[in-house]
Amino acid sequence: MTKLALTLSINGQRHEVLTEPHRTLLDVLRADLGLTGTKENCLEAECGVCTVLLDGRTVNACILLAAQCQGREVLTIEGLGREGQLHPLQLAFIDHGSVQCGYCIPAMILSAKAYLDEHPAPSEGQVREALAGNLCRCTGYQKIVDAVLAAARELADRR
Amino acid sequence: MRVVGQSLARVDAPGKVSGTAIYAADFALPGMLCGRVLRSTLPHARILRLDVTRASALPGVRAVITAADVPDVRYGAAVKDETAFARDEVRYVGQPVAAVAAATPEAAEAALAAIEVVYESIPTVLDLEAALAPGAPLVHEAWESYTAIPILQREGNVCNRARIVVGDVERGFEEADHVFEHRFRTSMVHQGYTEPRAAVASWDSSGQVTVWSNTQLPFEAQNTLAEVLQILPSKIRVVVPGIGGGFGGKLRLGVEHFAAFLAKKSGRPVKVVTTSEEELTAAYPRQGTIVELKTGVTKDGRITAKAGRIWFDTGAFAGSGPGVASVATLVLAGPYKIPNLHLEGFAIYTNKTNCGSFRAPSGPQSNFAVESQMDIMADALGLDPLELRLRNIVREGDEGPTGQILHGVGLEECLVKAAAAIGWKDRRPGSGRGKGLACSWWTTTGGSSGVYVKINPDGTVSLNTGAAEIGSGALTGAAQVLAEELGIDLSDISVVSADTFSTPFDFGAQGSRTAFAVGNACRAAAAELKRQIFALAAAQLGAEPDALTLVDKHVVAPGKRLSLADLARLSQQTGGGLIAHGTFIAPSTPYDTKRVEGHVYPAFHSPSFHAHAVDLSVDPETGELTIHKYVVAQDVGFAMNPTYIEGQIEGGVAQGLGQALSEEIVYEGGRVLNPNLTDYKMPTTLDVPRVESILVQHPSTVGPYGAKGVGEPPNIEPPAAVANAVAAATGLRITSLPITAEKIALGLVDARAGGA
Repeated sequence: MTKLALTLSINGQRHEVLTEPHRTLLDVLRADLGLTGTKENCLEAECGVCTVLLDGRTVNACILLAAQCQGREVLTIEGLGREGQLHPLQLAFIDHGSVQCGYCIPAMILSAKAYLDEHPAPSEGQVREALAGNLCRCTGYQKIVDAVLAAARELADRR
Repeated sequence: MRVVGQSLARVDAPGKVSGTAIYAADFALPGMLCGRVLRSTLPHARILRLDVTRASALPGVRAVITAADVPDVRYGAAVKDETAFARDEVRYVGQPVAAVAAATPEAAEAALAAIEVVYESIPTVLDLEAALAPGAPLVHEAWESYTAIPILQREGNVCNRARIVVGDVERGFEEADHVFEHRFRTSMVHQGYTEPRAAVASWDSSGQVTVWSNTQLPFEAQNTLAEVLQILPSKIRVVVPGIGGGFGGKLRLGVEHFAAFLAKKSGRPVKVVTTSEEELTAAYPRQGTIVELKTGVTKDGRITAKAGRIWFDTGAFAGSGPGVASVATLVLAGPYKIPNLHLEGFAIYTNKTNCGSFRAPSGPQSNFAVESQMDIMADALGLDPLELRLRNIVREGDEGPTGQILHGVGLEECLVKAAAAIGWKDRRPGSGRGKGLACSWWTTTGGSSGVYVKINPDGTVSLNTGAAEIGSGALTGAAQVLAEELGIDLSDISVVSADTFSTPFDFGAQGSRTAFAVGNACRAAAAELKRQIFALAAAQLGAEPDALTLVDKHVVAPGKRLSLADLARLSQQTGGGLIAHGTFIAPSTPYDTKRVEGHVYPAFHSPSFHAHAVDLSVDPETGELTIHKYVVAQDVGFAMNPTYIEGQIEGGVAQGLGQALSEEIVYEGGRVLNPNLTDYKMPTTLDVPRVESILVQHPSTVGPYGAKGVGEPPNIEPPAAVANAVAAATGLRITSLPITAEKIALGLVDARAGGA
């Protein structure tokens, strides 16, 4: 099958990727680039564990063709911390006991980041709305929501 | 206490929030092939022809296997009725028929499509009623020839009948002023872990296979793989890189054996990961059930007798069914003192997927019936449902249903506190609003655990355990116990886990046991390690071991001290290092053997007690629920890490509300109608209320610092609590799960029509 030569910008780094046109961003992230912080489950955009940010907005990497990401900026969980420091959202998830099995957590954190970037002082209801596309089966969401609200306050204090 | 009992952050949290934690589904090896499984498309059929010639010749395809390529063995935890691939006959839609390994997922899919199978349908058994009807077709014609746990009571489509008999129920019903008879029904539900079942297998030239998998039970997987592959367990290394949730769904072999067979045949590492469709049609979900309860009660609310039967639709293979049917009888008895009991649990074969164990197996189904009926009886007697419970609950020193003596019974405190927190006095405020209560008891599963604990040359400590971290934080809890016992910090401990070649045995992440059992093994290891440390230090410091103390990571004698790091280095130079082996096996719980039959789980070890309360409103037109508040009071014995116990409670309630309100694997004609995560409706952030957790602490006699198992119980009561609240809100009694808005709305329409 014909392959496409793509230049992808992922976490601020350029990656040259040669791939078939039907392969998804999730395939390329996990199988080709070894960025397994982006998780894989339903492959039908139902569970949300593959959520990454494309130009700052949440997308399900499992149904997004890698070719569609050419020339756009992809952020995965691996790119969230800066210089070895965890992002306030990551720290808040640790501090609030929001992590259990952890499989949904990278996507949950990225969904929260995208929302907080545009809505710095959300209500609990707004946070719940923003995370409604990310299934978690362990936590009941309470400590996740609490962590996002706490991170919002922390980020606001820094501004 | 400095470490245990504190809400410290879990040891694996940084890796999990930064995406560096590796799960089985992430694991990869160079040259790895993609494995896929071809599954039956009919519920019950003979295989007339199975031809893989065309599939094997396709480009990129490296191996195609069927039953003809693997040892002809039957395996299974309770009944050896299962085979790796269907041989001659398929028994459910989704049963493995063949498997392929190919260079790419696309090539593997093409190979599956090219396998030719010709079936001939044979009579099916599609539900419990059909399975139990006189002259019903048998799911397994040869059931008598299967090897099984000897005490099981099997007959035809019944793969176990477990029974508890106490006193004389007929006499008990005569002593009653009222006898209530009800029938309940629950649906099949899936554990819903977010990481699919996954395995990578690779063979080396010595004939040893390594399997990286997300199994909850690596040591059982090792033994079952030995059976299935027909090689020695010592040739099988099972490693658990990480588990993205299990809830009992990853206890038994998932795809490990397919990966191993395909890797053997192809000579390459092979990875197999399940799809959502495979999860919802061919995994190990919770059994659907029918429950019948007959309960006698005096007019002042004393229960005199209970007869109960629960039938589990366990699917095409026994799976966990025989054990689950046993456990159910203890839940059907409830946490109540009842002098006369006749309780039976049946595991029934049908042509559906093989059901398994799901967090508190049998608990929600049995409790839904028991606690719904408690409220029905209270209403009929004109008693407050809380009061009816308080008049019958077990208390410290009472007997359980099979004669075990109960200790650490905090149930009354749980009920009273949950009721107070929900505002019980005002339980029927009107306007479609109501409050419901439910309570139960549960076990802390036994089994043995071993740990190695090593002091590193920098004074930190490695905890090496055979248990897998399923996500609950149990290994952080165990590490907290170890840190407390050694006088070190949690941050001093690193955890290595779940590798059948390099970690000591553990019975596995199941039955709310991990923190309990591994924690106790850590206490034993700490004691042994301190003995070694003091012996070594005594010689160095010129003091008697008895005169030494361990303070602030130093061994101290009058006027002198040595750090743990000094001692570890010294031991490495002179004695092979400081390392201790700690073990734990839960003592058996005595019970009256004459009261049980066909029963593989006759007593609840270090039992926990709990009460749930919910406040909700029902929209009279749409039947939709709004949950205003949810309270759990759980007797955890001792709270090893309060934050993560709250996490277990919040998550268990969310999962329980899914079963209560929206989740159901819907079968029609032997096929699942909703094998995807849009139509199988798990709760989202918008569906789950805030949960108030009240940690009650009546210590167990066995657990570390008095702890009891906490992981499973929160999943038990939500369906019953919701059903009781809906009844309080509307007068409508829903006796089947899930309690959908549609069911409520139609029920209210019927009630209005009946009342008109």
